[in-house]
Amino acid sequence: MVVHRRKPWQLPESAITPEEAVLAHAAAKRSGPSRRALLGAATGLGALGLGGGPAARAQGRDPIGWWNAQIANDPNRGLYPAARNDRYTLDRPLTEAREAIVYNNFYEFGSHKEIWRAAQRLETRPWTVTIDGLVASPKTVDIDTLIRAFPLEERLYRFRCVEAWAMAVPWTGFPLAALIRWAEPLGGAKYVIFQSFENRAIAPGFRQTWYPWPYTDAFTLEECVNELALMVTGIYGKPLPPQMGAPIRPILPWKYGFKQPKSVVRITFVAERPVGFWERLQPSEYGFWANVNPDVPHPRWSQATERMLGTGERRPTLIWNGYGEHVAHLYAGLAHERLFA
Amino acid sequence: MRGLVRGLMGVLGVLLLAASLWPAAREALAAFSGTHRLIPLGQLWFEIDPPSLNLAQAGIQRHVAPWLWEDVVQPLLELPAWPVLAGLGTVLLALRPSRSR
Repeated sequence: MVVHRRKPWQLPESAITPEEAVLAHAAAKRSGPSRRALLGAATGLGALGLGGGPAARAQGRDPIGWWNAQIANDPNRGLYPAARNDRYTLDRPLTEAREAIVYNNFYEFGSHKEIWRAAQRLETRPWTVTIDGLVASPKTVDIDTLIRAFPLEERLYRFRCVEAWAMAVPWTGFPLAALIRWAEPLGGAKYVIFQSFENRAIAPGFRQTWYPWPYTDAFTLEECVNELALMVTGIYGKPLPPQMGAPIRPILPWKYGFKQPKSVVRITFVAERPVGFWERLQPSEYGFWANVNPDVPHPRWSQATERMLGTGERRPTLIWNGYGEHVAHLYAGLAHERLFA
Repeated sequence: MRGLVRGLMGVLGVLLLAASLWPAAREALAAFSGTHRLIPLGQLWFEIDPPSLNLAQAGIQRHVAPWLWEDVVQPLLELPAWPVLAGLGTVLLALRPSRSR
């Protein structure tokens, strides 16, 4: 007989608030009827070809409007929402989409938290991803071909930033392990580097030529083929917005967010452990492993608790961000390493 | 008091002039090897103390105003280091109060 024991952090599916309800609540709380009426009127004007004025202004203030406009021409929008993989559940309510998409780190666009507007300058088509390094056959693939090469699924994951804020979101993507197999790494490949976009014309950060652009970070091959590692192409049942790393990014939810480059253009397989962007900048604060641990403080703040986006609720941080049963074994025998920085 | 100000401006001016020699010499050496590239102030700061540069950016953008970094501080840091340092040092030395009698 198989006995299913629910983990302390698991919630039944029925306890998860649907996105529509969350968005409706957020809209009502923030905007009220008059704003909705304005948006409706703006949409109507847009349909009449008069949207350059009120529609554009309304859209300019509304991140969801921006997002919908961004994905209107996404050739893959029909792939969303993908079927949810029920194996991955949450111990907390989903973060409101409206909160998650306006509080982002994207260092190329600045180090403040309101970079979502600036990030709209990121053009995500045409877009290619290059697979190179220690692989059987280096290749460059169009993003739409890549996304359609693997079945998409939705997973509910916790996300933890090293800055001690957190969210719980429904990512859409495909297992990173599938991409790794498709890339056909050679026997000597031990690490996988993910490189973010580098377009100096659209992001002010690139003018700071003293930083080691482009933004890169890396994982071990074993981490990449772990079942939790996901190549993310969407969130909340839609293609990713630019500020969250469109059109594609890795998510390894047991690690701090900075380890996971956004808007990936290159994936390189190497034999030697590489040094990522933040480790090069501040090695005393940001290391290679960067696994979540409440008992290992950042040099400048505690990691014991985390602040949930939107609600501001403080929750105890979970070791491995609550995914220990899936990933703790990856680090057996590595106690001498700085696993949590 | 006048003497103190004169002394401080003199010391600071000389220090800035001396500091300008380091990037100037590196640029000259690079030029000889055919790889000349201007060294901006930000590069110099980053080489000396990366965490403080990063903290300054985060502090200004998050706690003061994003534009203050992007439109004011960053453009200053993009200026070539040695002319700025040498220019500031020269100005300080030139503007020192005259010696009191």
